[in-house]
Amino acid sequence: MRKRQEAGKGTDMSGMATKPDYLMLAIETSCDETSVAVVKGGRQILSNIVSSQIETHRQFGGVVPEIASRKHVESITVIIEEAFKKAGVSPGDIDTVAVTQGPGLVGALLVGIVAAKSLALALDVPLIGTHHIAGHIYANQLIGDILYPALALVVSGGHTELVLIEKEGQFRIVGRTRDDAVGEAYDKVARALKFPYPGGPHVDRLAHEAQDEVVLPRSWLEPDSYDFSFSGLKSAVLAEINRSRMKGETPDFSALARGFQQSVIDVVTGKAMRAAAEFGVRQLLLCGGVAANRGLRETLTALCREANLPLLIPPHVLCTDNAAMIGAAADLKWRRSEFTSLDMKAEPGFSLEDWSVKG
Amino acid sequence: MKHDANETGDRSVTILSFDTSTASLAAAIVRDGETVDSILSFSERNHSVKVISEIKDLLQRNGLKAQDIDAIAVGQGPGSYTGVRIAVTAAKTLAWTWNKPLIGVSSLEALALGAWESLQSADENIGTDRAVWIIPLMDARRGQVYTSRYAAGHPRKWETLDEDGIRLIAGWSQLLENEATDDERVSAVWFVGEVAPHSAAIEMAEQSGMRLRTLACDMDAGALGRLAEIRFREGGRDDVHSFVPNYTQLAEAEAKLLAASRGE
Ligand SMILES: [Zn+2]
Repeated sequence: MRKRQEAGKGTDMSGMATKPDYLMLAIETSCDETSVAVVKGGRQILSNIVSSQIETHRQFGGVVPEIASRKHVESITVIIEEAFKKAGVSPGDIDTVAVTQGPGLVGALLVGIVAAKSLALALDVPLIGTHHIAGHIYANQLIGDILYPALALVVSGGHTELVLIEKEGQFRIVGRTRDDAVGEAYDKVARALKFPYPGGPHVDRLAHEAQDEVVLPRSWLEPDSYDFSFSGLKSAVLAEINRSRMKGETPDFSALARGFQQSVIDVVTGKAMRAAAEFGVRQLLLCGGVAANRGLRETLTALCREANLPLLIPPHVLCTDNAAMIGAAADLKWRRSEFTSLDMKAEPGFSLEDWSVKG
Repeated sequence: MKHDANETGDRSVTILSFDTSTASLAAAIVRDGETVDSILSFSERNHSVKVISEIKDLLQRNGLKAQDIDAIAVGQGPGSYTGVRIAVTAAKTLAWTWNKPLIGVSSLEALALGAWESLQSADENIGTDRAVWIIPLMDARRGQVYTSRYAAGHPRKWETLDEDGIRLIAGWSQLLENEATDDERVSAVWFVGEVAPHSAAIEMAEQSGMRLRTLACDMDAGALGRLAEIRFREGGRDDVHSFVPNYTQLAEAEAKLLAASRGE
């Protein structure tokens, strides 16, 4: 299924964006998932292969950066080949290569970036360095149309952000976490409740099964702030466990899980709804790995129905890290012919606002 | 170690070779044992930025397209973990996309052969009577080096005597001094490559004042390409998918986990 490279495809980049059914290869290696996708016309997923390293990192109780990088090298060409096979297209059919430029673990990002650059050189097509969070947000475009202005609630292991998208591809961060990300707080609390890594889903399940709730504080910060803080809540859980132990009681883990989850959901959804109203957005987007959390989805769905605000939540596979979402975000740049140099650098602390489209 | 194409193969072979295991980014086009063109750049261990544009430039200025390349050769390490991954990832992806054979070469062996070639051009009588040991060094911090041992010369040989590994320079140079003393077929031991941080340890080991010599030198992608060409002509190929860097040691977290499981 190999086709010889068509010479000169990337040399004249002007007007390329006029090809609506273009084929993009997208690569995502910012953390512990090696993922490659083939996306047609920026919206249609032809393949989206995700190879998770979770089993490897579980034994270390968290993601070990050096091991993540090693695993990416082991699987990168295997996953690229799978993505092409599944999509039924040849490398020579590809019009552009997109890759996560940041944020993420630098050693992990580098593997995807070097592979993407190699493909761009080998196929003589333009490269598009892409922002990981823009990927999470534009994953929504793979399931529906985004109405602007839109507000995105990004919740994942590394991120908790409220992003206002006034126009297509124009990002403004209105709120962010000041300490732990939601997913991080979930994992830390899960560890305290004796769940193995990654513990977030266990906490969600336990919270649902709980009969009682240990009511924990809500961290609203300043009245006008859209920022988040979860480290105090995590400490409150630990203090509660200690208090029970000191009294010789067994801590009620499920009631604690429920209390923790309720506090997180109240604050996160409360701030999102308040920002949605203040900025007069036409749509709310929920995205990131923690968007899989049942409690969060249910609460936000109910609140949006009440407020008559359209809500988009991608299916689970598009919420967790995957390359198709990188392709969906890179489409913003493709349509504006905003390509990235082969000398692109990995940006572990990449700014989303700076990645906004120019035109 | 000039390689005559007519000895082992009947056609001309062009190889793209590169290595990023050390502080330098080295790339070359090697055709039938000769370096056609090469680059050597120092980008402060940020090889990921320039590696592909440098390769593109190298190909373009020599008028080479994918169909003109017979194989892709890459330094497999050891060396800087991140550095080695960059070249290996580029080589795997290029080899897969262009559907070309991939030949992994020890970065230490390439460093050693490059040094041996320059020693020969400086002194054409070197190693003609007795063998010379070439010991490539890459600094691995805390008195450690990535190293191996090759026998060269007398008259035209290139033989691997030790596997690539990480060793303490103090013990390693002492061992080589002792073994060279006992082996009368060896005329000199040359430590080559990143020798500066370890010259004190090498001087300490020297007893005769004769055998242990040093040559500071950088990676030579031309030598890497020549080693790859020999393997290529013999039909040697690496599997693109399963090809990984030779780190020579476990990641720290793995080593700790292993130690814990053994109850250490
Ligand atoms: Zn993510």
